Amino acid sequence: MAGSVPINAMRPAGRQAPAADTSFPAIARGHLHEIHCTVPDRAAALAFALSQSVAQGTGAVAGAIFALRAARRQRLPTLFCGDGLALLGIDPNRLILIEAGSEVEMLRAGLEAARCPGISMVLMESEGRFADYDLTASRRLVLAAEASGATILLLRGDAEQRSSGAQTRWSIRSAPSVPLEADAPGLPTIEAELLRCRSGPAGGRWLLSWDAEHGCFRDRDAGKQDERSPVPGAVVSFSRLPTDAGGDGQRQVA
Amino acid sequence: MQAATASDRSPDAEPVPFAPVSLAPVPFALVARVGNALRLASVDRVAIAQGLAAGMTLADARARCPTLATCPADPVADARELDRLLDMMRHFTPMVALDAPDGLILDISGCTHLFGGAQALARQARSMAGYSSRPGFGTNAMAARALARHGIGAEAGATGDIRALPVAALDLDDGALAALRRAGLRSIGDLARRPMGMIAARFGEQAVTRLRQILGEAPSPIAPRRPAAPIQAEARFPEPIARTEDVMDVIEDLLGQAARQMEARKLGGRRFAIRLLRSDGARQGLAIETGQPVRDPAAILRLLRERIDTLADPLDPGFGFDAVLLAVPLVEPLAERQQAMEGEEARAGEAHIIALIDRLGIRLGPDRVRRLQSRDRHIPEGAQAFAPATQAKPHPWPATTDHPPRPLLLFDPPQPVAVIAGVPDGPPQRFRWRDSLHEVRLAEGPERIAAEWWRRRDGHQPGGAGRTRDYYRIEDKDGRRYWMFRHGLFGEEADIRWYLHGLFA
Repeated sequence: MAGSVPINAMRPAGRQAPAADTSFPAIARGHLHEIHCTVPDRAAALAFALSQSVAQGTGAVAGAIFALRAARRQRLPTLFCGDGLALLGIDPNRLILIEAGSEVEMLRAGLEAARCPGISMVLMESEGRFADYDLTASRRLVLAAEASGATILLLRGDAEQRSSGAQTRWSIRSAPSVPLEADAPGLPTIEAELLRCRSGPAGGRWLLSWDAEHGCFRDRDAGKQDERSPVPGAVVSFSRLPTDAGGDGQRQVA
Repeated sequence: MQAATASDRSPDAEPVPFAPVSLAPVPFALVARVGNALRLASVDRVAIAQGLAAGMTLADARARCPTLATCPADPVADARELDRLLDMMRHFTPMVALDAPDGLILDISGCTHLFGGAQALARQARSMAGYSSRPGFGTNAMAARALARHGIGAEAGATGDIRALPVAALDLDDGALAALRRAGLRSIGDLARRPMGMIAARFGEQAVTRLRQILGEAPSPIAPRRPAAPIQAEARFPEPIARTEDVMDVIEDLLGQAARQMEARKLGGRRFAIRLLRSDGARQGLAIETGQPVRDPAAILRLLRERIDTLADPLDPGFGFDAVLLAVPLVEPLAERQQAMEGEEARAGEAHIIALIDRLGIRLGPDRVRRLQSRDRHIPEGAQAFAPATQAKPHPWPATTDHPPRPLLLFDPPQPVAVIAGVPDGPPQRFRWRDSLHEVRLAEGPERIAAEWWRRRDGHQPGGAGRTRDYYRIEDKDGRRYWMFRHGLFGEEADIRWYLHGLFA
């Protein structure tokens, strides 16, 4: 079985929060972020989202991640796999899975979770139109996140972009990985596109691959240009890929 | 007056499942492993009549009595049963003490006239207990105990002369008993005639203490076990109240009373039940459960409000509520914690999160708020389970280094796909899923996971074990990574299907 070794390496414990996220519009704590993806790319989007959470403290519910979804709006019947989470450095015990009856219930529960101090991340999954998520709802989430310091990530599968109070809006797709020996699928690789960013230019696109050594996604091309070993602690040293001409201005929706 | 009962778990009341049915009673014994030998732990009346005794090796007993029926002794179950009997004996007197491992001491002073005398009380108690037992009556606990355990003719209820009891009734160690017998002292009466100083010097202080207790010269107090008082509070009103807010105020007050009761006993409640008695006789109940023991009235009140919000029809006061009763049927130890200087913020956060889980569990239902738990099975969908987060305690997740990586998302149920493979048992080359064709670019595998034949009835028979799965990690031309398995081995099954079982990041 080729290539099972590197992906199994666990994330080193006690990773610190991203130190310098002011210059780069990374996923900042205490804000609302939207992640758009197509339904088959949901695993990639979830991996991107979950890799942004930081474990802190010890105890039964330290660094809790509340993963919410509306039970009826599920086109693909999927469950989280604990072993798969552990490979991404997420202790499955941190995850509290909540199935709300409807999208409004999910928003309400998510808002309550976001207001609760001590929570590391609130991850809401939605599919389709999600009509209840409007400017007011998003603004409420933003205020709750700012007050408690929790990161709120809203996963929107197969959805139109809509103006909201979110800090950043990403589009995540699976990308071909670098094969391991004997043509085995390689480490998780995703293509992240920044559709919108409140405090900076949007439109960047990055090819990120999983860095098993540091337990985070890293820009795949940056490693080739810059052979220095990356500073432990920094999460993403993204560099930009060339994007479509004029993409920056047009992509901003709200 | 006190009565002691020594009871044996013997088959007089308990049917032995495999005892041969015959008219002649079969001797029966419980067997325990002592050291390296099986010995009889206790024997029934028939076995005693045939010359068997507790402590004998099973081989000896079988040689004497080939028809002996045996069961393994279970001291834990015995202790539990004795506890149950103790609770039952509260019917006769509030003062019941345990005389481990197989006796109960009842203080029946002032209770006998209610049951028609001491003998009648003993008869009722013995028939209620249901086991064969040996009652003994004495003026103090030690005398009653000695008569029950060592009296002659104790079957009928010994009230006889304490002085006639053998010295074994003193319950001394073997050395002291042997010394007493060597000295020619056979009965308690023999001993009681000697000066106490001499007995203490030769047979130890213990002998004197026991002797004086049995003779009633020294006190022999018993420690009756008292039932734990249930934690409850109630409020009754001269005039019915109708407003929900008033009711909530009353409940808060009751919760405060219950919290004080629990605080004094270092307990916290896991389940709270409220009963609202309406003036027209109708009753309404509200119950909440929490994940951790709590006694903070504000936190419980918040959960109660959640519960009221989820009710299909809100609290209907009708003509008003007469009384509000609060009970805490499930309690757990909860010690007051000292305020720590460090890490206080993290602990407060933890408490907030636990309260949030309780709240969401009450609003959405406990099965909707769940946590992942690992299981020791190798079938991927069986290796984990979802448990309600309010009840599940987090266990450390086992490190998984012995098998290839697992996907982040599992399909439940697995999605059937149409697959074209190059060679019949090779990896897939292209597959059709959700009306689109996927070309496989990279593939790794198979990882073969056999069916769990030991869980099937005919699993050990050829072909009865269920289908083996061959798992492949594949990546298609679009860069999506899938976990796919072939259900059944080529050559063994006629109809082989492929399923998609997971999505990798």
